[in-house]
Amino acid sequence: MNDSMNNPLSHRSAAEADFPIERTEAEHVTRREFAKFLCLVSGGMAVGSGWVAVKDRIFPPFAFEGERYVCDAADVPVGGTHPFRLEGTAMPFILIHLTNGTFRAYEQKCTHLACAVYYSPDKNKIECPCHHGYFDADDGKVLAGPPPRPLPRLDVVIRDGAIFVREPDHKA
Amino acid sequence: MPQQPSAQRQAPPSKTNTLSLGIISVLILVLTMQIWLLTAALNESLDGNNAVKWPAFIASAVLFLAGAALLRYLPDPIRRANKAARHRRNTAGL
Repeated sequence: MNDSMNNPLSHRSAAEADFPIERTEAEHVTRREFAKFLCLVSGGMAVGSGWVAVKDRIFPPFAFEGERYVCDAADVPVGGTHPFRLEGTAMPFILIHLTNGTFRAYEQKCTHLACAVYYSPDKNKIECPCHHGYFDADDGKVLAGPPPRPLPRLDVVIRDGAIFVREPDHKA
Repeated sequence: MPQQPSAQRQAPPSKTNTLSLGIISVLILVLTMQIWLLTAALNESLDGNNAVKWPAFIASAVLFLAGAALLRYLPDPIRRANKAARHRRNTAGL
């Protein structure tokens, strides 16, 4: 109370003295702060680009040697599909028995946003139901829709009625 | 030589406004280019083409350093200087 009699600024309440910064002033984003924030995001982008450059060294993409058994050819009718997985990766694959009698094997994740694709035998296309992306069933090429890259494929080998898959010969 | 009053030692607000807006515009442009570099590098990397990722990273890093260098030219806030001067004047005779 003595302080309030002697202090010429005593017209301010105790709360205002304890919290001198107004709320609007505290919440206001200045152009200076915004420019610094943009620079911070720019740094994040540079770090992201660096991550893309080194990620394959730290986490090498999945690759396997030799051939892996999938199933028997008789288990997959014409126009049918058989989902399978390979040891060493969580990636789902799909084996397709095309209407022309040949077999194809692709990763089942759409290259757009990783939805599970399926084979339409009447259209002879691989379709992504999420955003209506279409892939060529013969080579996995993008035919329509938002997918940016073809569907990664595996080479199919049929031996004694059994279906095996192996890494494609043209893979970089 | 007596020092000029504080108001005359500061750039007029119109100049500082223009400078601030110019710097922010350049930073937004830099960010746009970095986003493009990142998406292009990621797409190519996922497709198996590894020729793009290191040039894209170097370009993105150069853009970031250029943007950071621009921050040096951000004008000092005028409001803060005036507030400090007012506080000094108000408490001078106490």
